[in-house]
Amino acid sequence: MIEIRNLTKEYENVTPLKDVSVTINDGDVIAVIGPSGTGKSTLLRCINQLETPTSGQIIVDGQDITAPGCDLNEVRKKMGMVFQSFNLFGHLTVLENIMNPQITLLGRSRQEAYDKAMELLDKVGLWAKALNYPDELSGGQQQRIAIARTLAMDPEIILFDEPTSALDPSMIGEVQSIIRMIAKTGRTMMIVTHEMDFAKKISNRVLFMDGGNIYEEGTPKEIFENPKKEKTIRFIKRLTSLTYRIENRDFDFEALADELQLYAEKLLIENDRTSKIQIALEEICVNNIFGFEGEPNIYASIDYSEKSDILTLELKYAGEHYDITTSENVLFNSILQEPTTTVVDEVIENSTKWYNNHTAISLRWED
Amino acid sequence: MKNRINKIIVLILCLVMAFQAVAFADGETQEQEMIPKNGITTIDELHGKRLGVQTGTLYEQAIGWPKEETDKFEQYKMPNDMLLALESNKLDAYLIEEVGFYAQRYEHPELMRLKEKAGESQFAVIVGNNEKQDVLYAQMEEFIAEGKANGWLDGLYDYWVRNWNPNTCKIETIPETTGENGEVIIAIEGGYEPFSYESNGQFEGYDVEFMMNFCAKYGYTWNFQAMEFDAIAVGAIAGKYDFGMNIVVDEERAEDSVLTDWYYVCDLVFVVEGEYESEMGFFENMAYSFEKTFIRDNRWRLFAEGMGRTLLITVMSIILGTALGFAAYMACRHGNKVANGITGVINWLIEGIPTVVFLMILSFVIFGKTQLSGTLISIIGFSFIFGCGMYGMLKVGFGAIHKGQFEAATALGYSDTQSFFKILLPQAAQHFLPIYKSNVVSLIKETSVVGYIAVMDLTKMGDLVRSRTYLAFFALIAVAVLYFVMEAVLVAIVNQVQLRIDPKRRSKEKILEGIVEKE
Repeated sequence: MIEIRNLTKEYENVTPLKDVSVTINDGDVIAVIGPSGTGKSTLLRCINQLETPTSGQIIVDGQDITAPGCDLNEVRKKMGMVFQSFNLFGHLTVLENIMNPQITLLGRSRQEAYDKAMELLDKVGLWAKALNYPDELSGGQQQRIAIARTLAMDPEIILFDEPTSALDPSMIGEVQSIIRMIAKTGRTMMIVTHEMDFAKKISNRVLFMDGGNIYEEGTPKEIFENPKKEKTIRFIKRLTSLTYRIENRDFDFEALADELQLYAEKLLIENDRTSKIQIALEEICVNNIFGFEGEPNIYASIDYSEKSDILTLELKYAGEHYDITTSENVLFNSILQEPTTTVVDEVIENSTKWYNNHTAISLRWED
Repeated sequence: MKNRINKIIVLILCLVMAFQAVAFADGETQEQEMIPKNGITTIDELHGKRLGVQTGTLYEQAIGWPKEETDKFEQYKMPNDMLLALESNKLDAYLIEEVGFYAQRYEHPELMRLKEKAGESQFAVIVGNNEKQDVLYAQMEEFIAEGKANGWLDGLYDYWVRNWNPNTCKIETIPETTGENGEVIIAIEGGYEPFSYESNGQFEGYDVEFMMNFCAKYGYTWNFQAMEFDAIAVGAIAGKYDFGMNIVVDEERAEDSVLTDWYYVCDLVFVVEGEYESEMGFFENMAYSFEKTFIRDNRWRLFAEGMGRTLLITVMSIILGTALGFAAYMACRHGNKVANGITGVINWLIEGIPTVVFLMILSFVIFGKTQLSGTLISIIGFSFIFGCGMYGMLKVGFGAIHKGQFEAATALGYSDTQSFFKILLPQAAQHFLPIYKSNVVSLIKETSVVGYIAVMDLTKMGDLVRSRTYLAFFALIAVAVLYFVMEAVLVAIVNQVQLRIDPKRRSKEKILEGIVEKE
């Protein structure tokens, strides 16, 4: 059991962790999610003291490991860590990467270490790569070996720090299935991840972090399907949206188109609708708003709701209002005219926010 | 203290070059028969020509020409360099002391002097600026005065210079000394016949016999130290040496210097190239040069000895420098402010100071009053220089390793020391060893300046041989080849080390040592 009490980590300019308290019970599989830069990795790295917390306590099986004089190396032997960038030792073979820590730190014999290493290599399906060097392997293979290296130390808990974010999409699956396999053995784990689907399926607890704090905590069902708090709701929703700020006329629409393409592939949205969204966006922004005086100031979001199967383009912008019905673009007009299209186009009077215009185009799919 | 030096400008030193076997009985007649190639026969014709002189001798000021003209003299480090410049037509004539000219002409009969003498120069002893100065100065003045009065100095000059014969001249009887008043250290050039040169492991020559007699008379034991000519006066002024020999007496020396009265006088002459046809063929000539450079007097031993010393300095500096750089890196790697501050300052100083200046500062300022040998000081100096390089290499080498390697080791439970030696060092070594190799090569080359602080290394030995033989070719080539050989050997050793410790070159058997493989 690991008890974290009032953990704070401060740097000169930022405070990535603010007064975090949480208890990790034996057998827990905890997924830590949340926007970038909200202290998820810092929390993980504080637990095994790769980062020294500024204040607070971490109590592992009744022992305060933040206390001075605590033998951290002994504590760390009980905590495995899997890194985003694998961090296999480059000068050692795969086999030695798994063997050497056992020999040096656990005092196992070479034969014992070898047997253990080969057993684990077999488990992660890389028995044949034992005598290769890490740089001869793919990212997915390296990460599987890094996991084997961690397992070889028989840790009580394994900390995964974004184990799949440095991987090519085609390799994410192989690593995730290994982690799932470990989770089934009942080992305590804590995983920082951006793969929501994976987090949902593997964990029994989810910590949503925001602003250096655990903002909301719950079961995967609670967090992913019924988030209670505002930021969690927005985050879960934003997983299915793309947002942009268009603040000058050099805005890279090509890059936006590429991202939209990937987004559509991920969510299985058919090309027809995404290309319509693209046409609408370029017609409104490039052909019209860009024609007004002054620098453009547009907030654009593309949203897809899986439940209702509606793809929405929402634009908020400052300055002169553009009435989309006045467009002379035939293609654009026909999109607006379709029965599956819903349009909102309004001027927000007495706007206290930045933007005083609001336009939304929603595309429904109809067989 | 008497004769404190306020203005060092006053006195510049010189040494008289090696005087080699010259006693040409028919020298005068030969000159009259020879015709100068460029037709110059009088000093007046030399105005506006390209003229050379040895650095620091100030001979050009003795001609009585205006300063604008004497300023245009090209400065050469060694008389042999002027000779080469003359023969390759970079100079029209050069100015040298008479004795030096005869020594050169022994090997180069094509040389001829202008009959007019250009001036004369007096040579004195410089007395070291230390606590013994007053006593030694008074004793030396008395010794020279007596020697002049009773004709002993004249006799000594006749024997060594006027009747110089390289094959027979030697100190017949080494005078007995009681040694009751301790040791005096005497700075000599060590490679300039007939004043000071090495023969069969002993220093010989006019200066040597002169100083031995002085020591015997006043109850001192002598300790001769050979060094680059430029370093003699510097060392004496720093108080490191008690006496420095062969210092030119300048007109302005006046009251500020610590020079004694002159102990010999020598004419200065201009040398030009005459029409001369060698009787020797090319190969004959080469064989002769070779014999003179290596075989005669067992001169190859000088090369071997110099190479040994260069190797000693290099290898010791590599070992100590590596250890020093490593220690500095270990002290600094966790950002210790004091260690980083000290290392930073030392690095900054050593990187900013030219090697030869750094060595001279070590020798004459920092260790000025101690009796550490030049070799030891060189090793200290080059250890620091190599250590700085090592420190830089380690920084680069470890900097090139992704910080994840250290984090992964730490997370597994490796201690700081374990992760440093087991994880980081083997990887860093592969990054810095290639730079290490080139640093080794530069170090060997850099050690060639140790002659400035009285170390007889390979370069200095080559110079000594050249100054005795007056033949540049073989000595220079031999020195270059020997440097190449040393570099090749040291680089081969580092290469071997690099291969041995390259983790990726281990065999499967080595990796699986002591393991029963599973099927």
